[in-house]
Formats: sequence, C-alpha cells, structure tokens
Amino acid sequence: MTENGGGGPEVTHDLRVPWEEDPGDLYEHAPCGYLTMLPDGTIVKVNETFLAWTGYARAELIGQRRFRDLLSAGDKIYYETHYAPLLSMQNDVHELAFDLIRADGERLPILVNSVLGRDDAGLPRVIRTTILNATERRGYEKELLAARRAAEASERRVRVLQQIVADLAAAPTAAEAADAIVRAPGPAFGAASATVWLAQADRDQLAAVAGTDSAALTDAPVPRDSSRAIAEVARRGDLHVIGSLAEAEQHFPELADTMRRTARAAVVLLPLTAASADDPGAAEVLGVLGFDFATPRELTDSELRVVRLLGHQAGQALDRARLYDDARRREERATFLADTTRALEVLPRLMPRARTLVERMVPRVARWAAVRLQVGPAGLLAEAGEPAPEPHRLADRVAEVLLSGQAQLTDDKEPDGGCAVLPLVANGRVFGTLALRPPLGRRTATAEVAFLRDLADRAALALENARLYEQERAIARTLQRSLLAGDLPADPRFAVETHYQAAAQDLEVGGDWFDAFLITPDKLAVVVGDVVGRGIDAATTMGQLRSAIRALASAEAGPARLLERLDRFVERVESARMATVAYAEIDLAANEMTYACAGHLPPLLAEPGESPRYLLDARSGAIGSRAGRQARIEDRIHLPSGSRLLLYTDGLIERRNRRIDAGFELLARTYAGKRDSPLPGLTASLADMLVGPEHADDVCLLCLSLGTERRLERTIGADPVQIALLRKDLRGWLVAHGVDDESTQAVLLASSEAVANSIEHGYRADPLGVVEIVATVSPEAIQVRVADTGVWIAPNARGARGRGLQLIRQVMDDVTFDHDDGTTVTMRRLRRGARE
Amino acid sequence: MTDQWVTFAKLGTADLVRLAGEIDLANAPEIGREIVRQTGRAGAVVIDLTAVSFLDSAGVRLLDALVGDLDDQGTPIRLVVGETGAARMTLQLCAFRDDLLATDLDRAADELGG
Repeated sequence: MTENGGGGPEVTHDLRVPWEEDPGDLYEHAPCGYLTMLPDGTIVKVNETFLAWTGYARAELIGQRRFRDLLSAGDKIYYETHYAPLLSMQNDVHELAFDLIRADGERLPILVNSVLGRDDAGLPRVIRTTILNATERRGYEKELLAARRAAEASERRVRVLQQIVADLAAAPTAAEAADAIVRAPGPAFGAASATVWLAQADRDQLAAVAGTDSAALTDAPVPRDSSRAIAEVARRGDLHVIGSLAEAEQHFPELADTMRRTARAAVVLLPLTAASADDPGAAEVLGVLGFDFATPRELTDSELRVVRLLGHQAGQALDRARLYDDARRREERATFLADTTRALEVLPRLMPRARTLVERMVPRVARWAAVRLQVGPAGLLAEAGEPAPEPHRLADRVAEVLLSGQAQLTDDKEPDGGCAVLPLVANGRVFGTLALRPPLGRRTATAEVAFLRDLADRAALALENARLYEQERAIARTLQRSLLAGDLPADPRFAVETHYQAAAQDLEVGGDWFDAFLITPDKLAVVVGDVVGRGIDAATTMGQLRSAIRALASAEAGPARLLERLDRFVERVESARMATVAYAEIDLAANEMTYACAGHLPPLLAEPGESPRYLLDARSGAIGSRAGRQARIEDRIHLPSGSRLLLYTDGLIERRNRRIDAGFELLARTYAGKRDSPLPGLTASLADMLVGPEHADDVCLLCLSLGTERRLERTIGADPVQIALLRKDLRGWLVAHGVDDESTQAVLLASSEAVANSIEHGYRADPLGVVEIVATVSPEAIQVRVADTGVWIAPNARGARGRGLQLIRQVMDDVTFDHDDGTTVTMRRLRRGARE
Repeated sequence: MTDQWVTFAKLGTADLVRLAGEIDLANAPEIGREIVRQTGRAGAVVIDLTAVSFLDSAGVRLLDALVGDLDDQGTPIRLVVGETGAARMTLQLCAFRDDLLATDLDRAADELGG
C-alpha cells in the first residue's frame, strides 16, 4: 500500500493493463527463471524462461534432476557448503552466484534467490527459486579482475625493469652488464631461462657470456653470418618472438632442436641495441637476449613494449661498458708498455732483456711469446708460455716477416688465429721478430694491432740497445785482453806473474791494467794502474795511458819525472784524468828499486826472511789531480835477491762490507802465508782467496820476483795440478843459475816424479797434505830435496811407481830415501863440467 | 777440456794424435781417455810428441798402455819424438822400443804405409 498525497492518481491496487495479463504466461515468460524444488532440490516445476536459457527440455528436468545436478563441479560443493545450510537456517538466500551447466555443456553464470517454504509443522516443504542471468555482469567482473591482474603484472615488470636498469647502470664491464640483463626475463615475464650473447666485434661472432642455465654457455660462438636465429636477430636488429615449436621448425630448425631438447614451447630473441658509433641514427646490435617459456606464451603489446625497452636499456649499458672496457684496456696496455720498458732498461745485456720481455708478455698479453734475433752465427731465441705454434709453419711466417718487414697478425690456416708475427726494426733494418699467440677467448691480434705494434717498436729499441751494448762490451773486452796480453819480458834475473779477473756481475770492463817492460837491458819497469770509469772508453784510455808510460819511461827520468809527464799527458787526454798508477823501476844490476804511487794503493813487498810490508812512501795525488799533492816524489830502496813485490788494484782489498784497513791486513797475512808458494799461480790464488768468484769489481795483480834465490824453497799442496806450477818456478830458477838444458830437463823430471810420488802415494788418503821442496845449486851440482809427511809404500818393481822411481835414479847421480816421519827424497845431479 | 794438450787429425790413412805442452800426473789420465775415445777404430795411429815440453812417468804409463792396446789389436802405431826434447829423453830413459819411435811425421807415415 502506498499513500500518495501528490497530484497523481492515487494508486491503491494494481493498475489495469490494457490487455489481458495471463498469470500463467507471466510465470512462463518472466524475465527470470523460476524453479520450484522439493527440499532435496528435485525440480518439480520450471518456467519457460529457464528452459530457454539452459536448453533443457521440461521433461529432462521435472522429477529427473536436482538443482545441484545442473551446477558445475566446483559449484556443487558450494551448493552443499553454503546454499543449502544458509537456506535451511534463514529460509531464504539472495544473489548467490553459480555457474550452471547448460544442455550443450556451456556455462551459464547465474544469480540465485531462493525461499524455503515450510509446512504447518515447520518442516521444509518447498523451495521456490528465481534465477537471474548473470552472464554480462560476470563478464564485467572478470574484466575487472583481469585488468587488476594486468596492472599488477605490469607493475611487477616495471619494478623488475627498474631494478635491472639500476643494476645495469652499476655494471662497469660488458660481462657484468650481461649478468644483470640475464636476470630480467624470469621475474618480468615468467621466462623459464635466459641467455645473453654478446657480439665480438673483432671476431664477427656472438658468444654466450651469461645464462640462467649454464648449459647454453658451453656452446661454441655463433658466427654473425650464420643461419642461426641468434645471428638473424643480430643482423636484422628486430625482436623475434617464436611462439611455438612449429614456428621455430619453419624458420630456424636448429632453434627447434634446442627447444625440443630443453622442452621449451616459446622463445623470445631480443636484440640489445645502442646508437651506432659510426652512424648515430642507426642502431648497432651489441648482443642478443634470448629467453624462453615452458608453455606456449604470447606476449601482450604492453609486454612487448617492456621487452623492447629492456633491449634498449641493456644495449646502452653494453655500449657504456664497452667504452669502459676500451678505456681500461687502453690504460692497462699503456701501463704494461711503460712497466715493460722500465723492466728492460735495468737489464743491460741482450739475453736477459729478451727473456724478460717474453716472460712479461705471458700470460698478460699472450699465451705464448717468442723473440728471435738475428745476432751472432746461431741467432738468439727467448721463448715463454705454451703451447708453441707448429714449428714449420712458424718458421715460414718468421721468414716471411723478416723478408717483408710486414707484420702478420692472423693465420687462417690455424685454429684460433694461430700466432701473430711482428718485425723488430731498428735503424730501418729488420733484425728479428716478436711472435705471440693471443690469450684464448680474448681479443685477437688484429684487434690489438696498435698496441702490439707499439710493443714491438719498444722491444726493438730495447733489444737493439742491448745488442749494441753487447757489441761494445765484447769490443771492450777484446781490446782490454789484447792490451793486457802483450808479452812480458823474460829474464833469468826476475820473474813476473800477473792476473786479471773481470767483475763477476754483468758489468762493463774496467780500466785496470798491469804492465812490465825493460827500459834498458838492466832496468825493468813494472806498472799497475786504474783508469776511472768502465766500458770501451775506459779500455781505450787504459791503452793510451799504458802506451804513454812505455813511451815516457827512460833510463834517466825515474818514476817522479814520469808521473809529471803523465800529468801533462792527461791535459790532452782528458779521459785519463784521475787515473791512479803504482810505478816502479828496478835496477837489475844494482838490486835497487825506485817507485812512486800516484793515488794508487801502496805496493806490498816481501823480502826474504821478513814479514811483508806496505811501501807507504813516495805517495802523491792521482794523475792530473787538482786537489791531490802536485809534487811528484819517488823513493829508492834496496831489494835483496828473492824479494817479491806485489802491485794490485783496489778490487783486491776493497769490499763493501769490510773496512779498507782490514783489507790491507788480510792481504798482508795471506801474502805472508804464500811466501813459499811457487810464483806461478800466486797472483791467481791471491785473487781467489781475497775476493772469490763473486766479486763486484775488476781485480788486477802483478807480482815481481826479483833476483835468484840461492835456495829455492817451496811448499805445495797435495794436488797434481800444482806440480806444473812448481816445475815452472823451478825451471826459471835453474835457468837463472845457468844450469844447462839437459840437466834442467833431468832435474825437472826427477823433481816432478818425486813430488808426484808424494801426492799419489804418500798422501793417497790425505788431500790436505803438503810437499816441501828445497833446491840448491852449487858450481858442481844441483840438489833437490822433496819431503812429505805421508805414508811410505814400498814400490812394486813392475808397477807404475817403479818406473817413476827408476826414472829418478836414471837421471840423477845420487838418490837417497829417508822414511823417518814421512818420506824425504834427496837427489843430486852433477853439473856438466863436474860430470866429465 | 783437453784441447790444449791433445788434438786429432788424419795423416794419410792413419789417425794423427798431436800432443803438446806438459804431460804429467795432473792431465795424463784425461788425455788418455780422450785419445782412446777418438782413435778406437783407427787403422793406424801416429802420436806426435814433438811439441811436448815435459813428459813424466804418468805420461809414459799412458803411452805404454796405448801401445799395448794397439799392439793387441794389431793396429800399427808410431811415436814421433824428434831428435831431441823432453819426450825423447823420457821415452829413451824408459827404453821404449826403437821400432815405435820415429823422428818425423813423414817417416812415421812411410813406415806405417809400407
């Protein structure tokens, strides 16, 4: 009932419609479906509208079906759990949504209102239900839902993309950029796996560098001009979406194989592009991102937009990383070149330089490197790393490069480019080659050509300098040897023993020298000097100074005058200034020595029966010295027969870790200990004992043994090599005493046999034993006594010793053996006059 | 390192061994080994001692052993010692057979050839 106080007709009951409204027709064709059901849902009455909507015949439903039988599987459960309990409790339900399965199997979304009628006892009697068709409304809802899902996915993609962009911005290398890119497709598009291939410009190929599935990374690089899908995408710069296996089979059989093998249903291949460096308007493909799906997948327009965006972002990151990489590589290369140049500079010699060069190259710029130089008869080769290229092929290419002077950077006949060969050029001449194999998977020699040419140029310069250094060093050594090798005078009245020992380290020759010459038949000059500096200049200067001294020495001048003349000489030969000289003139007739030292270490004199002493008088400054004492002075001393004078250069006693006075003491002590040693070998053994083989300076010694000892007393170690030295000493002594040649031969043989016997048999078990030899000469006879403290073994007449002892008896006139406390052999040979 | 004492050459069909300098206890064993190594298959051997300035009993032992071995093999051998000199003196003192000694190379070569 409605009350209406307004102007319109007051309506208190149904308006009459102008036609007959049949209630039955109203029921049947109402704009909603009607169902009447028993409490268990069995349909007992249904209107025409419902039948029209569902496509069922009335007879199929009435008494045959329950309402729930018409529902979809999920809704049947919903019916039992919600609809039925709710209806039972409330007696009515409103707008419950169900999907009804139509006769043709299609779903019909419906809204259901039901009222439960009860009987007088309150028991359920009938359910009356109206059904509203909710097709449109449900579609709308679905659209809303889909829109929300799309928005969420889009937001997620944007978030993923933002993260990737942030990661890319922080990626300083192409490899790190690739790692960031490959992480995008999973979260952004639900891809199953993804791989990034990067274009290797210098090799014209694409190599897999990052992947969520490591299997793809082991594949060989794809040549850019191949028919593979990746190459196609890289060439065309277009996004490829292969939505199905069939599509792949049609265009890219290899991709189809991969998809089958990895159970993939769809693949997206995205070029990673940046503005080309050559043409800013064009896009350059720096790589390809591939991602795939396990189920068929189509990308929406918005997804495609995001995919393309990802391609641009990634391309820009790669481009940036490429620039970083280039800059970093250039810096590394520059540092390498500078460091290498420095490392080579500190090694003056050729072989160490060549070796250092190749060792520095491996593994930083090469797997294997070799320097070949055309020096000397055999050439020079320094090699490092492995594997070396095939030798014949390499030899051919080296020969070609030597001939043409043109670098050969790649070798198509060998895998991975073989090896590059560059010429080493100095003064316009190809004097060698630098060969190398670039590291695996790195840039080829062609890509590094500027760097390699630079390296070869620097290496050539360093090696050529070292070669010149070697040449100069060899010349200096030869010059020095030739200057020092000049014949020393031989005279029975004196003996000279010299020794020159070059510095052990790779130093240039020094300017040390010795000399001995006769000024007159009775006046001997001995010199030891030292020129400032090293190398060929020092050697030449030494030669000039040595010649100058020989020329300036005269019978009348004497040492002081000679030094004054040398002072004038260096005014013209500046390189000789500050040279030091110890100079002595010995009057062989008067047994007198006049000496002078110009800035040089004092001579060491051993007189018979005395301790050695340094001659500290007659000292003045170095030659041409302005600060040193200018006045040249000399000193004259008597030299008894048998005196030994030692001249030497500072290398003998100066040690970095030893005070010089300790050096003087050591030399005097060592010299005293060797007083009885044969003169031959004395200077060498002094150098050996005082400086050893590892000395940093040249050492030059001259020992003059003066006059003839009446008694020759020598002590030698039990070493067969020493017998020859003793023989040399003894021979000189015998000659000096005017002993005839035959007797000299005889005494030398007998003495050698006696000493050999002591060493070989007496000291068989004692290598540290010593043999003493005393020789005397009188007008009638020569007598030699050889004594050892070893064990006497009676000779076997047929044995080798028998022959030695027999020889002694044959050449000597009188031989006695004394076996008290070792063995003493006393042998005597009459001189020629006395024999007859 | 025996080059300074011993060098090898050919003299006609014979192997020529030139010895020089002082041969004594210190170097004789080494020189002996070198000679054996170089003349193992020689048809004839001439040892030139004219440049030897000293020869002791160790050197004599070396030559004695060489001569013995070559005689056993039936290989002809001559020692060239010159008219004078240290080697001749020592070898004569040791009473080496006259048929072994020759005064010059040509004669030694002739004798071996004939």
